[in-house]
Amino acid sequence: MSEPRENILVHLLRIDRRYIYLILWLVIMLPLIFPFRIQPKPTPPVQQLFNYIDTMPENKALVISVDFTPDTRAELQPMVVALLRHAFAIKRRVGILAISVYGLGLGEEAIREVTAEFNAHALTHEDSVIYGEDYVFWGWTTPVLTVMLGMGERITNVFPVDYYGNRTESLPVMRHIKNYDDIGILTSIAASAIPLSWINFAQVQFGVNLSCGITAVSAADFYPYVNSGQFIGMLAGMKGAAEYEQLVAERMKKNGMDWALRNRGTEAMSSQTAAHLAIMGFILLGNIAYFATRGKRK
Amino acid sequence: MLPLFLFLTSISPPEAVCARDVPNDEGGKILVVWQRSNDPNVLGYQVLRQKKGSEEWETLAFLGRLANRYTDDQAENRIHYRYQILAHSESETAVSEPSDYAFAIPHWFDLTTLPALVGTLLFSFIFVYFINRAKRDKGLFIRRIAGLDAVEEALGRATEMGRATLYVPGLSSMADVATIASLNILGEVAKKTAQFGTPLIVPVADPIVYTVAREVVKESYTTAGRPDAFHQDIVFFVTDQQFAFAAAVDGIMTREQPATNFLIGMFWAESLILAETGAATGAIQIAGTDAIAQLPFFITACDYTLIGEELYAASAYISREPLLLGAIKGQDYTKALITFLILILTILALGFNLPVLKWL
Amino acid sequence: MKRRIPLLIVLLTGIFGAVAFFVPHPAIRAADETMRNDVNRIIAAFSLVLGVGSIVQHHLLKIRRKAQFWSYSYITIVALVITAIIGLFGGIDVSRPGILPTRIGNFSFHIQTLYSNMMVPLAATMFSLLAFFMSSAAYRAFRARNLEATLLLLAAFILMLGSVPLGRIIHRQLPAFAEWILAVPNTASKRGILFGVELGIFATSLKIILGIERGWLGGGGK
Repeated sequence: MSEPRENILVHLLRIDRRYIYLILWLVIMLPLIFPFRIQPKPTPPVQQLFNYIDTMPENKALVISVDFTPDTRAELQPMVVALLRHAFAIKRRVGILAISVYGLGLGEEAIREVTAEFNAHALTHEDSVIYGEDYVFWGWTTPVLTVMLGMGERITNVFPVDYYGNRTESLPVMRHIKNYDDIGILTSIAASAIPLSWINFAQVQFGVNLSCGITAVSAADFYPYVNSGQFIGMLAGMKGAAEYEQLVAERMKKNGMDWALRNRGTEAMSSQTAAHLAIMGFILLGNIAYFATRGKRK
Repeated sequence: MLPLFLFLTSISPPEAVCARDVPNDEGGKILVVWQRSNDPNVLGYQVLRQKKGSEEWETLAFLGRLANRYTDDQAENRIHYRYQILAHSESETAVSEPSDYAFAIPHWFDLTTLPALVGTLLFSFIFVYFINRAKRDKGLFIRRIAGLDAVEEALGRATEMGRATLYVPGLSSMADVATIASLNILGEVAKKTAQFGTPLIVPVADPIVYTVAREVVKESYTTAGRPDAFHQDIVFFVTDQQFAFAAAVDGIMTREQPATNFLIGMFWAESLILAETGAATGAIQIAGTDAIAQLPFFITACDYTLIGEELYAASAYISREPLLLGAIKGQDYTKALITFLILILTILALGFNLPVLKWL
Repeated sequence: MKRRIPLLIVLLTGIFGAVAFFVPHPAIRAADETMRNDVNRIIAAFSLVLGVGSIVQHHLLKIRRKAQFWSYSYITIVALVITAIIGLFGGIDVSRPGILPTRIGNFSFHIQTLYSNMMVPLAATMFSLLAFFMSSAAYRAFRARNLEATLLLLAAFILMLGSVPLGRIIHRQLPAFAEWILAVPNTASKRGILFGVELGIFATSLKIILGIERGWLGGGGK
């Protein structure tokens, strides 16, 4: 191998990390500006969760626990939106709470978005999504243990007042969601280990069905619990959100709700795919440089 | 005739209604079970309860047609109750025979936790045995842990370079045993920085951990004979917001350029943000966590990583205190015993098709 | 004495915590709940005061000493004071105003506004850095130096391929294989490590309860 070529490879091995940052920035930004369409195929954990919610008895509610904070909003908020759409599309009651106080604003944001979508298309009272009848936002309270254990006894005792200051007992929906017995599945959307606390306290003691939505970076931690059946399904990262969005979009289409809604998880797939390919490219390049210069470095 | 016959037929009532105290609980609960009516017209069941000595039957719940059990969680302890189940169809109601009287009592031991109790006592016994043995036998062998051997070297480097040592005890609370293990290591590290006269920086993300960490460092400086070198500013609270904390620590790394970074305790998604910044500043980095998902990040970006249980062995390893080393031995033997049991039980389950899980 | 009292408290509360797991009786449960909820909450409230005290003291000291980059400390202290005042007295948002005027014309600076426009983007920025750090770390670390590193590299590569459409083009079963790596070998190794971790937790707890481990008291303990 000629000297200059070898020098380039040696430089490549010790490349300033800022060049990598710059390339990755371009790779992430360009598909956001010029998107290409990618429709991910649902993986088993996502399909399982979708099937479970889709076939849940009518008198059972979906509860979403907004357990993440603003930092992971881009990755996790699409999951909350997709789950809400799914529940409203198949007319199941929904309860929302936040384990982290920072999650309150995020829960409120998702509720506003999805209820506006449904109510904009509603022609009758039946089609509308109404606060206190079809869904409830319990808000936040502390400590975590009191929430997880207390909800097994009576939810109105844990949240005497909802996020908007109404007495929860006065809400008609609360006649149907008294405690875990009335909850078909509770989904904890989090970037931390909170879903495991739901297992330890809510599931072990009260047997509530659980699932989780988590960031891709911590997904590997949760697979043992999906395999053991403690979580009925899991949405892992933006890809998990995108897969769920696809399933919900299909279900809504079948139910006559072909509304061309924004699917933020799916939209970000092109950028994420490009970033994955770029990182694979970096790894390949690093290895080529490593092997090509091995003799020289020795 | 047939339609009239159908009209006259009444639905069959639920049978074998049985009430009993829910075992292993805190009391106040009675379980009622019954055989469902086999009539396809039944839409649901109504559960009624009567207190002994009272004439009145109160309705407890309305249940769907598939229900065959109900837990009455409104029962008063030691009060006798009996139950009756009503089956409802569109137009008719069938009443079951009342159950026998039952009463709820609080229990003093949860039998379902028996395997856990046996395990806890057995393992505690093994630990105490090895701790006692360690008092006599001073030469217990513990395998080398590279990350811990490097502690002294890393602190020496900071001293030579005249730069600080940064110690981050994770982002979790004191409820996390990883945090406690980290504070134990901090105690040993602080003793050494006190001896070497190296500046120590300890940013903390939890107010309770802050209070404990400050006491730990203060005591270590006193133990090392340098109470004068301790000042309030070594340990400080930053914020409990995950990424705000990461931003603050990254800032400290780039501004103060510590020669050695310890990232030991519980970490989440911020682990690589901290470790990569540390690597970029050229610091020697020793990480340790039992958060498995974060281990690859630390292994990639740090010089040494304490993996899982090594974190818990660290304070014993550094201090070389015989009693603590004895506990590690106990831990190893317990692990061997559990591994052996898993193997045996797996063979019994797979080879001989025995229901081993039911025994536990 | 200074050491004996904390050790005694730890011994008693530690044993009580374990007993509460096995005994469902309301007398024990109630005491356990009081310990976990009320006592913890009271301690947390006090420690929060210490925490805020610490951050203020730390930065005031920097300013007084004119330590390196001391001027940044002003930003922290001013931000802390303003956020606290707005949060306590300025109301939640436009529809729920507080006693302090937190609106000038159409411009509001309620706590929700500060949250949405400062905290959310700042925190999201820090989290996004992960993508950049991950790529540079992968570039440096994923090299086929030896057998273990090669296996790691291959597993990572397959997982990444499995999560992009290219994977399915290369082989239809590749995404399923990637899922299998996560669900089977990953879970198996993770359980192995968890096993050691749980025993470590058990041993550490026991050492602390029995007063053998005194590192958290500053070590020594003679």
